[in-house]
Amino acid sequence: MAQLRFQTVRRDSIFTRWDFRTKLVMMAVITVIAFVWESPITGGLLTLSVLLACILAGVRWSYLATLLKVMLPLYLILLLGMGFFNVAQVQVLTSHAELTPLLTLPTTWPLVGGARMTVEGTLYGFNLMFKTLTMVLVLPLSIFTTDINNMIIALVQAKIPYKIVFIFSSTLRFFPLLFEELQAIIEAQRLRGLAIEKMGLLKKTRVYATVAVPLILGALAKSQKLEVVLQSKAFSGSSNRTYLHESKLTGQDYGAIAFFTLLLIIAGILYVGFGVGQFAWLL
Amino acid sequence: MALASLKVEKSESMDVLATLNKVSYLYPGATKPALWDISLEIQPGEFLGVIGPTGAGKTTLCLTLNGIVPQFYGGRFFGYIKVAGLDTLEYPVNTLAQWVGTVFEDPSTQLTATSVENEIAFALENLRVPPAEIRSRIPQVLAAVRLEGTEHKHPQELSGGQQQRLAIAAALALRPQLLILDEPTSQLDPVGTQEVFATVKELNRRLGVTIVMVSHAAEEMAEYSDRIALLSHGELIATGTPPEIYGHIEALQTHHLRPPQVAHTFAQVHHRGRQIDSIPVTLNAGMMAIDRLSDAPLPSPPPFPEPTYYNGAPLLSVQNLTHVYGDGTEALRDISLDIHAGEYVLIVGQNGAGKSTLVKHFLNLLQPTQGNVQVAQRETQTLSVSDLARRIGYVAQNPDNQIFNATVEREVSFALRNLGYSKDQIKRKTLESLESMELLDHRQAHPLSLPKGDRARIVIAAILAMEPDIVIFDEPTTGQDYRGALDILAVSRRLHQMGKTLIVITHHLHLMPDYAERAIVMGKGTLLLDAPLRHAYHQTQTLQSTYLTPPQAVLLAQHLSQRTSTDYPLLTPSELAHCLAPKALRQEVT
Repeated sequence: MAQLRFQTVRRDSIFTRWDFRTKLVMMAVITVIAFVWESPITGGLLTLSVLLACILAGVRWSYLATLLKVMLPLYLILLLGMGFFNVAQVQVLTSHAELTPLLTLPTTWPLVGGARMTVEGTLYGFNLMFKTLTMVLVLPLSIFTTDINNMIIALVQAKIPYKIVFIFSSTLRFFPLLFEELQAIIEAQRLRGLAIEKMGLLKKTRVYATVAVPLILGALAKSQKLEVVLQSKAFSGSSNRTYLHESKLTGQDYGAIAFFTLLLIIAGILYVGFGVGQFAWLL
Repeated sequence: MALASLKVEKSESMDVLATLNKVSYLYPGATKPALWDISLEIQPGEFLGVIGPTGAGKTTLCLTLNGIVPQFYGGRFFGYIKVAGLDTLEYPVNTLAQWVGTVFEDPSTQLTATSVENEIAFALENLRVPPAEIRSRIPQVLAAVRLEGTEHKHPQELSGGQQQRLAIAAALALRPQLLILDEPTSQLDPVGTQEVFATVKELNRRLGVTIVMVSHAAEEMAEYSDRIALLSHGELIATGTPPEIYGHIEALQTHHLRPPQVAHTFAQVHHRGRQIDSIPVTLNAGMMAIDRLSDAPLPSPPPFPEPTYYNGAPLLSVQNLTHVYGDGTEALRDISLDIHAGEYVLIVGQNGAGKSTLVKHFLNLLQPTQGNVQVAQRETQTLSVSDLARRIGYVAQNPDNQIFNATVEREVSFALRNLGYSKDQIKRKTLESLESMELLDHRQAHPLSLPKGDRARIVIAAILAMEPDIVIFDEPTTGQDYRGALDILAVSRRLHQMGKTLIVITHHLHLMPDYAERAIVMGKGTLLLDAPLRHAYHQTQTLQSTYLTPPQAVLLAQHLSQRTSTDYPLLTPSELAHCLAPKALRQEVT
């Protein structure tokens, strides 16, 4: 039977107890700080904190590992690109005309011979890596620790139109179903002699492309069925409806919102006043 | 009492709950009407069954009653429908939803919330019912469908039958006068089907909810309905009591519908010259008819051919197989069995009995936690899925998940291209396969543009092109009407006659006696019984332990055995009719 559950954590923690609005504040603050900070040291610490919070909250390690695996090629390109080519920006940020060489490619190499990778450029690459990783990790920390129904109520109480909230929550609910259908189609192809395990990346990509057609057609059929079901349940998308449950902010929520607001203010003061979080800090 | 507050209040003046007057309807862009000139009245408190082959217009009829047709779909609508005095063209769907509750076929698309209580609350919230009122209705409707205590469960934690009962509870929470159920049991195992029918009848009897139910489950429809409406090609062919409709076997067969086995049996008895006043359509009525017929001496049952015993090395061998899933669920426990080349084997059991898990080991889609599985003396774990696919063809339940090419021809040749055949070989084998499945005329069509029965045949053709020794059908008749089911089983017989080994997983025991030779009965991950079909079908207790009920013909034969103290190991209506009316005086009904 299809499992419509989105990945939710089983462990009870402070994150599962917070209202989703509190987690929205957390997401916003962490994203802003991650965006502003350029220091790989502060950025790295922030990423590490969010990663630890994910593990403490019970986000499955297999999920985090998959996420890192998917991001890895991008990060390699980022580090090499920044290390070799980001010279002018790093010179301005560090106020150093001369950058520290990390390695130089032999001059005999065609095209790239003599290219120099700098420590500062690479560190800037790390900064970008930590930035994106923090923003990516804070999403499961907030979403996987929230029951979809609580999420709907919190978002509606945050004055987001119900129609938008419903579309968002339906996407979360039906994504696992689509994923199961994808697996079923790939399985059907393997059962018709397709040795996917022996294929290279390019061939595999082509196989996945062929899967898109039945998957999309299936999703369209399913969404039409869902529309009919919703009609029969008097759904109109109007925000003018009642809710069985109410979402109430508790003392813990107010404390957490105060903490994140304070964190944002302190981070701002330290950044502007003392340079903490700027690229050149401690370099 | 909590249930009392759910009771439907009948208005003094309401003699008719719903009226359809000369209703015709065409979907947008359609040239043929989905409904044509239908006039029908639905009485308050009645249980109206709607039957008809695929494409008869049954679902469309249901959707006209809640206004979704034509308000949501558009198209051209003629005539009018009034439900509880409301014209379905004038009142919006969400107003009509308060009067008409709807339960659909597929639990996975109709349950949209993350907990049972939220599922029930959803429609009430949309109708702005105050939270306190919603809270008071939830336990009432859960009690009505016997799902008390599940409020905080995720709907996916419930069994198929429970999910459909939850869908009924959600519809019931609106306190509708009319409850429409569109094939609510087609994806359920027999126990789930029984749960749903019993629940619906209880709501009808105790609370007075008017029921309109579409279903292919002939035995249950005959048992529970007050009146049956027969639709075909969008037209209302007949309405009448279950005996009036199901007693006319020829008319049903004209419209490719299956009668209950009781009716089929006694229609044949009647045609063989024995006087039957009225054709019984329910099991109890059938047993009473047997009591009357068996007052006169009856011949002993004819000798049945001995089951075929296969010798030599098995083609498929399972030894002490145990499988434990990652979450710790033990899906199979110490299963051992052999299947020889040329056998036609049935695997039956309740949902979750381990049937599909077992079959996935044959294909190396799952690996044993303990024990081993061999195909042609080679352990499946040493072979890749694609290698095994050359020997074992697997036709899964939903053909649409197995179709991914733009033409029928490319779909059928897909496997051959993977298996390294030359161009000439691919062409020849593809044509042979298309021809054997009568798909040559459709070779350039997009597979998904063809009807469901044809799509199933495309998948079979694609599997056959690989020339496997073993063909596995997983629930091939689920979601098919009678004609569709027989077409697929006819294909399975052809394959068997070609020398293939057939393995069929199904809940539809009544369809299989003419095809299968042997039944493997599974329950809770264990092998309960492995026996020739004639023996297995009469092990009522074993079947019931895995929530299966033998077909009505078997139950009637057992009743006859008890009554006459002679063993009648009969399986089909024809066999039973031959014993009850030994001399064929008229042409036999087939």
